[in-house]
Order: sequence, then C-alpha cells, then structure tokens
Amino acid sequence: MSDSLGTGEQHAPAELLEIPAGARPPLSRTVSNTLRPGAHSEFLLQAKKNTILKSHGRPPWYDEDGHSVGDAFVIGIAGGSASGKTHVARRIVQSLGSIPTVVILSQDSFYRRHSPEDLELAFANRYDFDHPDAIDMPLFASCLADLKAGRQSNIPIYSFTEHQRLDETKYLYGASIIIVEGILALHDPALRKLYDLKIFVQCDSDLMLARRISRDTKERGRSVDGILEQYLRFVKPAYDNFVQPTSRFANIIVPGSDNTVAIELIATHVRRKIEDRSRYLRKSLARIGPRDLSPGDIKDQHFPNLTVLPQTRQLQGIFTILRDRTTTREDFIFFTDRLSTFLSEKALEYLPCAKKDVTTPVGATYAGKQLAVDHVCGVSILRSGGPLERGLRRVIQDIRMGSMLIQSEDKTGEPLLLHLMLPCCIRERHRAEKSFVFLLDAQIGTGAAAFMAIRVLLDHGVPQENIIFVTIIVAACGGVRVLQRAFPKVRITCGAIDPVLRESWALWDTLPSPEPADGDVRSPTAKTKAEAEAEGRKVWVVEPGMGHIGDRYYL
Amino acid sequence: MVVSNSPTSQSTPASLPPSVFTLPQTAQLEALFTIIRDKETSRGDFLFYSDRIIRLLVEEGLNHLPVIPKTVTTPTGATYEGVGFEGKICGVSILRAGEAMEAGLREVCRSVRIGKILIQRDEETAQAKLFYAKLPQDIAQRYVLLLDPMLATGGSAIKAVEVLKEHGVPEDRIIFINLIASPEGLKNFCGKYPLTRVITGWIDQCLNEKAYIIPGLGDFGERRYCV
Repeated sequence: MSDSLGTGEQHAPAELLEIPAGARPPLSRTVSNTLRPGAHSEFLLQAKKNTILKSHGRPPWYDEDGHSVGDAFVIGIAGGSASGKTHVARRIVQSLGSIPTVVILSQDSFYRRHSPEDLELAFANRYDFDHPDAIDMPLFASCLADLKAGRQSNIPIYSFTEHQRLDETKYLYGASIIIVEGILALHDPALRKLYDLKIFVQCDSDLMLARRISRDTKERGRSVDGILEQYLRFVKPAYDNFVQPTSRFANIIVPGSDNTVAIELIATHVRRKIEDRSRYLRKSLARIGPRDLSPGDIKDQHFPNLTVLPQTRQLQGIFTILRDRTTTREDFIFFTDRLSTFLSEKALEYLPCAKKDVTTPVGATYAGKQLAVDHVCGVSILRSGGPLERGLRRVIQDIRMGSMLIQSEDKTGEPLLLHLMLPCCIRERHRAEKSFVFLLDAQIGTGAAAFMAIRVLLDHGVPQENIIFVTIIVAACGGVRVLQRAFPKVRITCGAIDPVLRESWALWDTLPSPEPADGDVRSPTAKTKAEAEAEGRKVWVVEPGMGHIGDRYYL
Repeated sequence: MVVSNSPTSQSTPASLPPSVFTLPQTAQLEALFTIIRDKETSRGDFLFYSDRIIRLLVEEGLNHLPVIPKTVTTPTGATYEGVGFEGKICGVSILRAGEAMEAGLREVCRSVRIGKILIQRDEETAQAKLFYAKLPQDIAQRYVLLLDPMLATGGSAIKAVEVLKEHGVPEDRIIFINLIASPEGLKNFCGKYPLTRVITGWIDQCLNEKAYIIPGLGDFGERRYCV
C-alpha cells in the first residue's frame, strides 16, 4: 500500500496547491461500496463521505450474551478551510488496510436549515458559513452519538446548489470507525466528548488561501475578487477566532502537507485499538456456537418463546416430502410455499389485536378484533430466508421486505454481514421502536446468522418482544439455546425440531443416488466428495433436516 | 423429534356434535373475520382475507385424510420416518358461492379435480332442488372436500351430500368445509349425516327470520363476485 502512498506528495510545489480531487463531493449518496481486498487501496483515496465503506463484511460486534462490545472508534479532524482535512481522513482510511466498516462524516451535512433571509444572504455570498452558528451542533452531536453507540442515524443532506438542507436524509448504520471532519469539528464540547482521537490539521494561512483560490476558480467558476472578499470577510476571521483556537484540544497536530509519517503513526494507533477490540471479541465469540452437541429433544428444554406447529398429519406429510432427497424441485417449491404460508399464519398470531366493532351487511353488530400494530415488516436472511418470503406475502400482501446477506467467513467460520437493506420503518428509530418484524430464515443451526440479524434489529431500536423469527427447522442442540439465552423475548415459530447438528464437509449426497427415473431425480444439492473437499469448507448440518434449503429451492 | 400424533389442531366445542371441528379461535382469526364481516370492507380486501381463512380451513380439512408411514432419505443421507398421503381427493363446490373457495383449495392442493353442484330453492315446494351436477367420474373412489362458505339452514349442503351419496361416495368420506356456520344449520346437517365431518371457521349466534346468519357477513357470493 505504501507504493501508492508516497508518490506525489513530497516535492512539487504545484501539488501542494491541489486539494485532493473531490474534496467537496456531492453529499447525497445511496450506495455503499463493497470493496474487494486488493482493489480497495486506490479506491479509498477517493473515499466518499457520509457512506459506510467496507473492504469485506462486518464481523460480529457483540459478545456471546448479545451485548454490543464497545462503541465505534471516533476520530475528529479539524483544521482551516482547504487545509487538507479530507485528504488526511482518506489517507487514514487507506492506510488502515483491510478495514471493517468506516464512515467519513462531514460537518458540511449539518449546516442549519436557513430562514428566507439567510437564504437570500447565502445566494449573495454574504452568509457566514464559517461561523459556528451556521452549524446545527446539537443535531451533529446526537447523530454522532447514535453512530458511535452502534445505532442507526439519519443524517441531514445539505445541498450547496440550493444552499439549503434537503428534506430527505441519509441513513447510516454499522461503522466501527467514524472519522468526523470539518473546520469546527473540535469546536463543540458535546462533539469533543465523543472523540477517541482528536486531530488538528495545521496549515499555513497563505497555503490554504492559495489552495482555496485554485479550487474555487477551477471547480466553482468563481472570480478571484469574490473569493478574496469572502476570505477576508468570513473565512479568515472565523479561522482566527474559532478554528485555530481549537487546536489546543487536539491530541495530535498534523501538518497540512508532507504528512505521510504523521498519518502512518495515527493509522498504527487506530489499528492497534481496533485489533485489541476484535481479539477480545474473538475470545468471547469462540464460546458462542454449539457446544453441547448431544442430540436434543425440545421436551428437555425450556424455551417459552419457541413455538412448534402442531404436528398434524398434513404437516408430517409435507415434511416427509420436503426431507426426501428424491423430491423434485417443483414439488419442493410447492410444499415449501405451502408450509411457509402456514408458518406465517401461525407467526401472525403473535401480533397484538384490539377490540373493534363492525356492522355486517345484514345490519347486525359484530364485536370483533383488529390488528393493533403501527408497522409490520419482514426481513429475510439471504439466501435461505427467501423461500419463506412467498408465504409471508400470501398472508400480508403488501408487506415491506428487507434483507440481510450474512455469510460465514471461510477460515474462521465467523459470520459476516455483507449486505443490509432494511424497510423504512426500521431505518428511523422512533418507528423501529413500534415495529413488528418477521425475521425469516430456513433453519436455525448454529444460530450465528440469526444472532447477528437479531442484533442488527435491536441496534435499530426494534424491541426484542417485537421480533418474530419464522423458520422451518430448528436444531434442538444448536444455537437456539444461545439465542434464547441472549434474547429471551424474541419469539421463534418453526415447523419442526430436529435432533442432530453436526459438522461435515459442504457435501450432501454421500450415498449412491436412487435409480434415476428421468435423470433428474438426483437431489439438486448433490456434490461429489472431490468437489466439496476442493472447496475445503466445513458446514454445520441439521439432521435429519432437508438438505440445503436455499439450494433446493433456487438451484 | 417431537411428534404429538394429534390428527388435527382443531377443537370441537362441547355443545356441538362430535363431527364438528372449528379452527383454533385465535385473536388473529377473529381479526380476519372482523374484516370480512365489516360491510365497509372493499372487495379487494374481502377477497384477500377470505382467501386466508379458506386456506386455513382447507389445511385443517386435509388433516382428516388418512396417512401411512413412509421412510425417506434426506439429502444429507439421514433417514427420516415420516408419513405419506394416502387416498385420492377431489373438491366439490356448491355453486355459486362455493366456487369462491376453489382458488384457496388449489393453492393447497395443486391441480385437484373439482366437481360442481348447482342447488337452488324450488319456489313451489320451498325445498332445495338439484339443478346441475358435474362430478369427476371416479368420485366414488375419492375423498370429497365439499365447499360452501356459509352454512345457514343447511338445506343445500344436505342436498349436496345426498347427491354425492347417489354417486357412490360414502358419508364418512365427505368433509364439508365452510367459513361460518349457524347453530341451527349444524344441528340439521349433523342430525342428517352424523358421519360427515364439518370443518368451520366460526360458529355464529343464530339465523334471523330471513334465514340469514347473524351477525354473519351478508351474501358471500354477492360480496365476492359482485359488490
């Protein structure tokens, strides 16, 4: 990574003048970027602000009891306008190497909503954007506090073309490192309390002015006179009165140029802090997962919030078809849909109802009930949660469906959150607190993905008792014990409890296939032993189980 | 593995004949009925929510069919001792309202054969009279799910069973499925055919002088197809 680092900065004076490309990028973004290791280094030099950046998935951030361990690591970077704060922020991100999740939060997002008078001034370039009063500090601090504590935050979007805060907001969640940059980042005491590391970028005034002229003439088509007038009227006084004095709060002062060494020092410090934390986590998480693998029976356990469907003849018949390796894909899909519809009906019984009187067409009054919930949504854990979606839709036609992609990391087997898309009602905390969520996954084996998914919902403010986990099979001896201990109020509805959970190669069909009647009876999940061993991946298998439900439903 | 071998999750209220089964009377089910009973409910909602109840009814009705032990091998190579479905089935809907239950039936039983019976009141005799019947040829070898959403006086259902019996279907192989039943209708029907099982969603208070179920939901076919 140092090869792409060192070139450029040290020598040529012309380059000192250059503000790194996109220093003030447009503020509204909707995509977060998943970066492949190796390809991320260059990319991060242009790291977008207000976007969660990640080089791989997000590893667990909670201990075996489901509690979040420690807050995000927050770095505040202040310094004069055009001193190179963003550049420093990006270089730190870049030199962190393989990072979990980082967000660069810009002070610019937090300009206040302007009154009509202020707006007029702003368009006439007579509004003082450099004064602390221009920034909505309380909102800034509360957003940062939320992110630091691992909660979601919906940060405002400020439009420089409209000189106004927009109505929409930008949803952020799940950063383990937060870098806050802005000229007044160290000004507000409430903000300062939230930083774990405070940096001030020190740059000569004339260099900053030179960069500013260069940038504003090139990128914003301004005249030099205008820039100078604004500089003398607002920028310079604000720097002297509000920005420069905050350098005394900094833990470290970084030069605005020739700062490679300083950045490397900072990155090393941050890396060490992060590593300490993940080492502690690994130790704690090693204890999660199946420890007692003796075949279990649900009757031995006390799971007050685990409901198994009544084992009727039809249900047993459906399970016999689904478990049978010779079942065709067509039948598998049909009976999975039928079962998931029935499971969803049962899960809906957990929703609270209130009294409601109606009049029937014959004129009689009926004292009935109606659902008494503010928001209901589904979230499926991909890919295996997908087969349960159709059933849920048959029961709540227009239900909002979110998704999470959680995969295990090949070497350690620890779960990684790769993708997260949540319905609007969960993104906003005050609505999440009143939302009921049906969390869908085909089975609970080790429970690692379920554990992470529940943690994500809790982070967003969804109450435990409002989470209803809908699943086809629960392994009696698996992670369901850990789940119920960590989240005793989460309710689980399942179709069957299977006794065995064991580790095996990612290989299903070890027995000779039954007589192929039309060449297509072989289970679609079948793999040869060689294929599985070449993949070198061990998986946890529920038995008797249904094989890999996602594969059988989709492939 | 827990298998409580209850054939069904339904219950029979103590005051009713033993051949009558209702769905579990949950708050959720009550909320569904509240929607379809409400005269302000739009047709779209009526369709969607009545389909949900019908699906539950069909699921429960099917639990009364026999199963036989069956052992299968799972994709991981484990053995599972389950059950296989036994016996052929068909649906028979009593026109016109009974047709509304066919979609729900086919969602649970793909491509099931469906016979149709039209029974109307003969205005001269005030008796239920068969106008039309089109049934699968081998119906005598099948279990029959008889579909009619409302059991009011029981007149047409009794006539329908009579027709089925004439076609060789034994009484105990007929499962009559309806959403709402009146106590009077249940008494009449079960008095006549004690061996036919009746699966109902909800048992209402009574019939009024025009033989409408109270509180009921009005004319099911009318609301499903016309309003």
